[in-house]
Parts: sequence; C-alpha cells; structure tokens
Amino acid sequence: MKILIADDSRVMRQIVTRTLRQAGFGDHDLVEAADGKEALDMATAEKPDLVISDWNMPEMSGVEVLRTLRAGGNDVKFGFVTSECTPEMQHQATAAGAAFFIVKPFTAERFDEVFSPILG
Amino acid sequence: MSTDVVVSENDLAEMAEQVWLSYLDPEGVHPLIPTGDHAQPSEVHSSVSITGSWTGHVVYASSTTAARKAAAAFLAMEPEEVSQEDVSDVLGELANIVGGNVKALVPSGALLSLPQVVLAPESATKYPNADRISGLYGRWEGEPVSISVWQSRNDLNKEETA
Repeated sequence: MKILIADDSRVMRQIVTRTLRQAGFGDHDLVEAADGKEALDMATAEKPDLVISDWNMPEMSGVEVLRTLRAGGNDVKFGFVTSECTPEMQHQATAAGAAFFIVKPFTAERFDEVFSPILG
Repeated sequence: MSTDVVVSENDLAEMAEQVWLSYLDPEGVHPLIPTGDHAQPSEVHSSVSITGSWTGHVVYASSTTAARKAAAAFLAMEPEEVSQEDVSDVLGELANIVGGNVKALVPSGALLSLPQVVLAPESATKYPNADRISGLYGRWEGEPVSISVWQSRNDLNKEETA
C-alpha cells in the first residue's frame, strides 16, 4: 500500500515513519508532503491508499485538505496525527470523514491499534 | 481573583512525562527531574500561542546541549550528528506537542499557532501583557529544561472581575 505522510515538521514525518516501522508497517511505500497544499496535490497525484496528516500546517490545515478531497469525490482513507485533541476537533475530523485521530505524543502500540485494521 | 489555574505544574509534569516516554526517554531511565528553579538559564526556546477562548503562550526552553540531545532522541541519531535545522525542528515540535496538550485543558474555542523557534535564551523573548501562570522547571541528565505557560493579562483581568 502507498501511505502519504503530511506534516510540516520534517522531524515529525521521520518519527511517524519510524513508528510505522516499529509497529510492523515498515514495508509499505511511503511518500511525504511538507504542508497542506502539497498534501492535497500529492493525495491527488500519487493516489495513496492512506493519508496520515498533521492538523496544523501552513497553506492549508489538515481538515481543509480532507474536506477538499471529499468535495472532489476522493474517498482515500484519511486520518490525523496531531498534538491537538479537543472534542470539537475530533468532531470536525469525524464529520469531515476522518478514519482515525491519533494524539501526539504517540507510541508504536497506538499505531498498531489504529493501523492494524487498516493496513492488515 | 480566580484560584483555579487552568494549567497547573502537575498538568505540565504529566505532559512532560508522556513526551519523555514517547520520544526522549522511551526506556524510562532519564526522566526530567523537577527542580522548581525558575531562574535556571536557557540557551534556546520555542513557543506556540493560543488565542480565542483563552489567550496566552506555551514556552519550551532548554540549554543547547539538551536541545541537541532531544533532536538526537527524536531522530535516533547521535547528538553530534544533528544539524541546527534538526534542533530547530525538534524545538518547534516540542512546543507544538505541549501546546496542543495545553490547548485541550483550556475552554473550547481556542486556536493553536504554528511554533516559533528562537535559538537564543528565553529571556530574549518578551511576552507583553502576559503573566506566567505556571511552569515546570527541571533538569534532564543535568541539563536545564523548562515548560512555562503565560496567560494574557486581559484574560486574567476578566477572571478577576468575573
């Protein structure tokens, strides 16, 4: 499967990559986007099977990316890895069609719990 | 005046513990040891602002050595291998993680900014019209690290008159 990791922090993209590997999902094809606009472009051009996105990014927020994708008929599996975890944001994420919501800091166990049903 | 501090030192200590166990000290052998030394020096710092229902700043500050160690731990590298860009990125992410967790404790309807990183002591940045309402000051393997929360005086005045 192809996984798009969208986060404006290069370090956090590396940590998501490493945590995916630690959770046993290291053999998937990973691509990265460094802001919301790039995430939107790559979600369209690269046709990933899964998008793991930060919430708070320059150019476009993660939820704006998700809403734009859904409005354009793109139903790629999409979820958030974010330091923000208020009920209102979780509600916004769910309403926009997010499949998961992972709060930073996170562990490999949390990745395993969330991604096992998705990645198998 | 309101006696409820929206984010206490204990709240910050719990957040720090999660960050250390997740990224900086997964083995649980080098935790952040609180010292309560508000005057401890820093050499670098990062911050995020929260605006809306609650207005203020969350600041992460440390020595350069602690920042390099944090970057090395995040990136699974040796401290001497990390670049200044790595250090800046990690400092920003630390402020973002703690800030996001602080935001969860304030009334709903607040927005979190992108992080700002300053490779200079915390004293180089002033937060006009804001007071420090809580702080966690400690040592990580002997190096100073702190997390502090600053609240807008306008917010505090509102609480006083409420």
